[in-house]
Amino acid sequence: MTFYPLDRTQKQIQKAVKDFIKGEFKKDAIDTFVEAYAFPEDIWRKAGEIGLIGLNFPVEYSGQGMGAFENALVAEALCRGDSSVGTCLSMAGYGANLMLRHGSEAQKATWLPMVAEGKVLSSMALTEPGIGNDLAVSTTSALKQGDQWVINGTKTFVINGGPLSKFYIVLCRTDPNASSPASAFSTLLVEAGHEGISVSDVGSRLGRRLMPLAEISFNQVKIPLDNLIGKENKGLDQVKTCLSENRILAAAQAVGIAQGAFDRSLGHVKQREQFGRKLADFQVTRQKLAEMATRIEASRLLTYQAARQFENSPEDHEKQSAMAKLHACRTAVEVCDESIQLLGGYGYMQEYEVEHYFRDAKVAEVFDGTQMFQKDIIANELLKTRRI
Amino acid sequence: MGAKTTPEFKKLHSAVRELVRDTLNPNFEKVEKEAKIPEHIVEKFRRLGLFGMSIPRQYGGLGLTTVEEMALIEEMTYTNACFRSRVGTNNSIGSMGIVFDGTDRQRERYLPRIASGEWTTSFALTEPNAGSDASGIITTAELDGDHWVLNGNKIFITNADTARLFTTIAVTDEKKRARGGVTAFLVERGMPGFSIGPTDLKMGFKGSHTCELVFKDCRVPKNNVIGGLKMVGQGFKTAMRVLDKGRLVAGACALGAAQKIMDLSRDHIKKRLDSGKPKDALQAAQFVLADMATQIFAARQMLNHAARLKDEGRNITTEAAMVKVFLTETASKVADNAMDILGEEGCLTKYQVEILLRDVRLYRIYEGTSEIQRTIISRNLLKN
Repeated sequence: MTFYPLDRTQKQIQKAVKDFIKGEFKKDAIDTFVEAYAFPEDIWRKAGEIGLIGLNFPVEYSGQGMGAFENALVAEALCRGDSSVGTCLSMAGYGANLMLRHGSEAQKATWLPMVAEGKVLSSMALTEPGIGNDLAVSTTSALKQGDQWVINGTKTFVINGGPLSKFYIVLCRTDPNASSPASAFSTLLVEAGHEGISVSDVGSRLGRRLMPLAEISFNQVKIPLDNLIGKENKGLDQVKTCLSENRILAAAQAVGIAQGAFDRSLGHVKQREQFGRKLADFQVTRQKLAEMATRIEASRLLTYQAARQFENSPEDHEKQSAMAKLHACRTAVEVCDESIQLLGGYGYMQEYEVEHYFRDAKVAEVFDGTQMFQKDIIANELLKTRRI
Repeated sequence: MGAKTTPEFKKLHSAVRELVRDTLNPNFEKVEKEAKIPEHIVEKFRRLGLFGMSIPRQYGGLGLTTVEEMALIEEMTYTNACFRSRVGTNNSIGSMGIVFDGTDRQRERYLPRIASGEWTTSFALTEPNAGSDASGIITTAELDGDHWVLNGNKIFITNADTARLFTTIAVTDEKKRARGGVTAFLVERGMPGFSIGPTDLKMGFKGSHTCELVFKDCRVPKNNVIGGLKMVGQGFKTAMRVLDKGRLVAGACALGAAQKIMDLSRDHIKKRLDSGKPKDALQAAQFVLADMATQIFAARQMLNHAARLKDEGRNITTEAAMVKVFLTETASKVADNAMDILGEEGCLTKYQVEILLRDVRLYRIYEGTSEIQRTIISRNLLKN
């Protein structure tokens, strides 16, 4: 599909995902998942078994020792197969990279293999009710009492925060007297099931319906001191890097979602006839196809470049990842919207799939930072000023 | 609404506004969740006469002008879109064929029941292989003694699950087809050989149902041709006139939704400012809000102007198509932008915008896609 140079291993990965989709993505089952907000548990476990989760983890943690680039390839291919299932699978390790970069050996050895093998979902609890992307004003706190942290507060939109997640990476305010947010927060590893944790689903929503999405409150939750991840009070920086990596993942998902919707609408216009002609024979249809394909290709290149930048330049990737997410998600929303239009009345029916591609694309655009938020990041990087 | 508003209409207009505020909006999510309009609300629509807004007074309707009707529709769609849809077919595609072309007997038999909401009506044109190209329909009707025998399938038929009466378009002359070979029939629920399929699963409009209709040697009395036997072969014209009127309605619906979405976005920005977010950090959001308001302002003037031209008896085919394409696309754009203002919360059903986002998507497809509207507009522009 693309002229971007891929090596043999990367091509093999793409083929492995394609085969996996062929074998495991059954339309009827997916329709049922979408309708019932059910996580595709069996498909996820199988994806873990064949190594499609945590490709960037080192081999000793059941990963493949690859990088952000290969993760992006897999996310793209999975979401092309199905936007909803693909999103779940490619986010099964959500936040685990933070642990991989900053966690202790014991933390990593305990959890990362389980994540990669499809045995537990990884989740990260950052935002709070009413604060949107503004993590610097979050209030969930963790204070040291003797040999424990005591956590209080409420996190929301916790991706994977359901029964299959056995731990949460929680951003907590650990220095109430810090002069700046940059030195006020830490990330803590909180195992599920501690007394004082209550988890509820955020409720029905536009898209990403298969994925567990939770509000989690922490009421006097006590965890050992060594559940701190990395350095104390350096949490916001850790999270920032992780979010940048997640943006690349979201961009890759968006490329896959757009491509998947495009595939379906292309198939439709080649076969559907109105006014005695194939839809594909109308000039306006052809112009639409050309526009869609061009934008997808541009998004793909921007996303691949951001992934490369992330791998090669650990200090300087924020702008690239924000541009990739901004452009790829916008493309996905518009391509999916156009796909619905090309399918006409059928496009509005669940059976024809593109409507759920659209809904997943729109949620991908809004989550992990809205369009405006991405532009704030890009502008801050361009101007090197502090974020407002 | 302009200067011609009567005190009577003003009263009705405020009654509808109150109904939306006090009864419909509190049931906004319930309708989404339960996928139906509660009966006590349907009863309120009946009492206000909302099933017969566009039906002449002599047949028990309100006989509103187009300007008045559009103003009411805009009010009624300042909430979950499905409420208006419940009365929509009776006021528009499900009744207009009879109003425009029906015989006196047909008008007397059906219109009072439609206007009172005793009967719900549907309009059956679209088929699996005839969407934008309505002239491609293959449902046939053949005369057999005192009956027409209909065979074929119709899809995506709004309100089919509750309707008693279906304006059904079928081919009566295979050679002439859309040029004098298509006829509009009045098919009642329960006529032999007529059955209604299960409710479609859709992206939105969960509280408003569409179904497939199946005609299998369905026997319809000979005189159930809209306009009587002299109108055999004239059904395509009837159908196109019916759809012509629907374009302003679709525009009005989209406008009501866009206004609602904009107001929810404004409330959100205000809430964030009130909770201490610096104004400068929301400058971009405020500009987006300004654009929404500007587009809605333009949209409303367009609709009002086109409705006034129609009330003056002018041909508004081009204007109606412009209204449909601009207002429905504006609503989608407003919904799309609102999600960026609302962020993650906006994706939750309980904040309503995501429901409206899915609902307004339909307006760009049904009763003539945006592509069909653009075809009409450009064709008319190039005519002379």
